[in-house]
Amino acid sequence: MMRQINREWRFMLRQRYVMVILLCSFLVSTFSVTTGLSEVNAQRQTIERLKQADIIDRTKAQAKYDDAGSLAYYSFHLVYSEPSNLAFAALGERDVYPWKHRIRMLALEGQIYESDAQNAELAQAGKIDFAFVISVLSPFFLILLFHDLIASERASGRHNLLVTTAKSVYALWGARAAVRFGAIFLCVLLPFYIGAAISDAALGAVLQITLWCFLYFAFWTALSIYLGRNANSAPRIASALIGLWALFAFVIPILGDLTIEQSIQAPKGSDILLTQREAVNDAWDLPVETTMEAFVAKHPEYKNDTNVEGGFEWKWYYAFQQVGDQVAAPISKEYRAAAHKKHDLAGYVSFFAPPMLIQRKMAEIAQTDAVAAFEYEQNIRDFHKSLRLFYYPWLFRHDEFDKSQLNLMPQFEQTLINSKN
Amino acid sequence: MSAQLNTVMSSVWYVAKDEWRYWLRSKVAIFVLAIGLVLTLSSVIKTAFTMHGLSHDRNAMQNLSEETFMEQPDRHPHRMVHYGHYAFRTPSPLSILDPGIDAYTGNSIFLEGHRQNSAMFADQKQGTGLTKLGNLSPAFIVQVLAPLLIILIGYSTMSRERESQTLAFLVAQGTSIYTLIMGKILALFLVVCLITLPLALSGMLAIFQGESLFIVLGFLFGYVFYLLVWVLIVVFLSTLVSKNNESFTALVFVWILLCIAMPRVASTTASVSSPSAGKLETDFAVIAALRKLGDGHNANDPAFTKLKDSLLKQYDVETVEELPINFRGAVASASEAELSKVLNQFAEQRMDTELEQTQIARRFGWLSPNVAIRSLSMITAGSSIETHHRFLRETEALRLDFVQSLNKAHTEKLSYIDDINRNNGEEAWQRARVSAQNWKMIEGFSFSADSASTRFSRSVGAFAQLFTWATILVVLIRLAGRREI
Repeated sequence: MMRQINREWRFMLRQRYVMVILLCSFLVSTFSVTTGLSEVNAQRQTIERLKQADIIDRTKAQAKYDDAGSLAYYSFHLVYSEPSNLAFAALGERDVYPWKHRIRMLALEGQIYESDAQNAELAQAGKIDFAFVISVLSPFFLILLFHDLIASERASGRHNLLVTTAKSVYALWGARAAVRFGAIFLCVLLPFYIGAAISDAALGAVLQITLWCFLYFAFWTALSIYLGRNANSAPRIASALIGLWALFAFVIPILGDLTIEQSIQAPKGSDILLTQREAVNDAWDLPVETTMEAFVAKHPEYKNDTNVEGGFEWKWYYAFQQVGDQVAAPISKEYRAAAHKKHDLAGYVSFFAPPMLIQRKMAEIAQTDAVAAFEYEQNIRDFHKSLRLFYYPWLFRHDEFDKSQLNLMPQFEQTLINSKN
Repeated sequence: MSAQLNTVMSSVWYVAKDEWRYWLRSKVAIFVLAIGLVLTLSSVIKTAFTMHGLSHDRNAMQNLSEETFMEQPDRHPHRMVHYGHYAFRTPSPLSILDPGIDAYTGNSIFLEGHRQNSAMFADQKQGTGLTKLGNLSPAFIVQVLAPLLIILIGYSTMSRERESQTLAFLVAQGTSIYTLIMGKILALFLVVCLITLPLALSGMLAIFQGESLFIVLGFLFGYVFYLLVWVLIVVFLSTLVSKNNESFTALVFVWILLCIAMPRVASTTASVSSPSAGKLETDFAVIAALRKLGDGHNANDPAFTKLKDSLLKQYDVETVEELPINFRGAVASASEAELSKVLNQFAEQRMDTELEQTQIARRFGWLSPNVAIRSLSMITAGSSIETHHRFLRETEALRLDFVQSLNKAHTEKLSYIDDINRNNGEEAWQRARVSAQNWKMIEGFSFSADSASTRFSRSVGAFAQLFTWATILVVLIRLAGRREI
């Protein structure tokens, strides 16, 4: 067997167009990994800079005010979702979903949809990350390498000679296919392994991605060889394969998208905002008791502390902020549920569209998919809640606010740790 | 001379007709062409309906938002500043052919006092994520898939003649190689015309909706020209190599490179080489600048002493209570004006960086005609980043306008004494209000893209890129043809 492999290896090195394809695949993979690493690095640095600026800004606000109400009003808090160690390989949905916010203790529904998005025109073009190279470009390389494995020998008139002189069909085509497969697999994945080593990615995840890539490569190789086995005209086979590729990469996902969009009814995002705004603004004109009743329904522990003296008290203000969120909560939940449902249904569609399937798998492993974005949103909600629970006793129980308490203020990092457990 | 030209023309026409006869017989080409037509047609119809729906929805939301604003009861004017207003970006008429970045940016902005919000609720975020690679928009179909169809139809157009050795025969008979090439180009060009026909029909619809004829023609011309570049690429490579399968492999390879890889290489390079600080980051600078300006809610902020002194002097009184205007309103108005200057300065910076990034990506049009047509199409259709920036600028003007007219009502129509006593019991609370008549100043906001000439002048670069591609290819084809003889 080694002899055959050796022979095919030397044969391959002499075929110029195979070498061009291998070189191209290696270059494009290297480009995707390098830019992916630098993108992730930039995101990390941004978060670091934001963290520092955030602390400075909050410290200033805390120095300026002494009462709990003003402190809560003027203190912003950075929340963020750090890219994972594998994010460089699958940038995923991070260019569409925001991964950083600054929030404060006002109604959250008014803040959480702020998106500090990237350049929309670049996002529309898409990024060339490693997941893209694997899912979209590598099938092409495989099609070009394997569709005429047999047809090219037939075209040059060596086919029958080769078949009759070879020990077995497998010794001949098997060795040739194995050598090409190994070469392209290595060319595409080598940059990824180097990237994974640089960014200290977990071995298990790297192996998982290797396995998925192997299966995906095997799928396209088998398809190419199978369709090309009896062919005389190589371009016809390649056309058919490219047709299949277009079907998997474009047609099925687009049809799936149309069907899902038709079948899922979701409230409009702007409805959430309008509802929340009306609730918060109307509260200024409503009797204090109305707001407080709605508030106490969620926080019965303050039912004896709802008396508001004079025209304005912070606790009333924050109560109607929360009530604003409460009023908008049903639409907001429906909105989120629709997004989840769409993501799940898209998962079923991707079973019929291998390029989509592998892209989703890789984004899932790298934690850069929509699910990770949903989790981040939930983290924000949890953190906002812990912030409210921190301030409420000071706002409702008329204790003199002791500024040393600020050291005990909830940290977003703690929310992240809690959500992992 | 003209008789000679006539013979050349008729033989070119004859070659083209013959090529079509070959396609009709081979069925594969017809099948591919049929797929192309179905795809273009369905994308044109689907996108026209979608964008029409979006346009209708957003207009309705805009009207609703204006109505609810005006229906608000008598209130303290500053309450309305925080109540805020919405602006919606209605898509341009040509968005039915190229929705561009519409789904990738938020399409509504909440306008309120003291801050510039970002556009929220990008459709892509609430989507399935399945359209990452491509969507059913005429722009995508014609920019990316149509070249592939042209390749599938035409890859063998010259190499076939060589492989079956009819080429030498034809040349020996006195058909010039250039006549032959011209004929093949003409045949493929007819395919291009067929594919772009649905686009032209939809373009007419856009003209009916008020788009300028000039820009629609420019848009369509851009697409025809782009596909012509692909025809030239196909004929060139098919002439250059001697075997059908080599021609096919080379063309598919070039297609992946130019249509699939290059646009993404462009955007990745742009975002890596010229990273932009997000809004969140520049907001810190805004906050720092604002801290110096003072809080407009607090008329006692030392930052406003100067304003106070000048007002007292102007009206020749001793205390703010004696002023004929409401001092708190004056402070709100002055601080909003200052603040908006700071906000705009940072917003302009951010837009500049974004534009710079986009320009880097667009420069890749010299390397790929696909990148060139992408920018040409979005720019002329009015669905590029520039249009979004225009939306941001217009909404900021609208924001400042409505906030300042409320501040004016605050200054002129609400007494200072009532204002500072507003928290002293129910009656005082009721008195610190102005009539709802003051909310009627909200004017109907309807967004439209830049003027046709502005958009056209922006797209000149992309036209130049396509033109260069075509010129170079014509030269290459001549060289390849010369080698033939």
